[in-house]
Amino acid sequence: MDSFNTTVAGSDPKSQIMNQIRQEAAMHNARQLIEKINEHCFERCIPKPGTSISRGEESCFSSCMEKYMSSWNAISRQYVQRIQKEQAAQEAGGFGGI
Amino acid sequence: MDALNSANLPDIAGMPDRDKQELQQFIKNETQKSNIQQSIHSLTDMCFRKCITAKPSSGKLDKYEEPCMQNCVDRFMDANNLILKQLEAMRTA
Repeated sequence: MDSFNTTVAGSDPKSQIMNQIRQEAAMHNARQLIEKINEHCFERCIPKPGTSISRGEESCFSSCMEKYMSSWNAISRQYVQRIQKEQAAQEAGGFGGI
Repeated sequence: MDALNSANLPDIAGMPDRDKQELQQFIKNETQKSNIQQSIHSLTDMCFRKCITAKPSSGKLDKYEEPCMQNCVDRFMDANNLILKQLEAMRTA
């Protein structure tokens, strides 16, 4: 991943803790994304659940999944850009954003 | 979470002060990162509902959806600021 790969995990307590925190944060983030994708795409792609998932539903799901991830990335870009802008304005003496 | 309570808990007490400080800063940064990610999750949830109305047939955002997503974020932030301003005005009134 990054520079901490040089130290073997478990050798020093500091990097051990850092790695654990990183892992759990990534896990939490991924779990949340999956949960949201399932929620949205189930609603969109399977309006009337049949006895099995049809081909059409399956392809809808894969587009929906990809689309949700694209959306996540677009929102992420825009949001980070926006908070950076507001932070800069705040530092320049503008009114406090968030 | 519970993994932190396991028996192989690293020895924090015996850690050099410099490491403790670094760890503290690291946790602060990670917490901030996690808060931002949380906001992105809830924004995506909201904006997906608003901007993606058709049955998904492609994985990419089309030329209407992409700007809608961007506007969705910006208008949400505007609304947020508007409320703060309004509250501030109420407080000083």
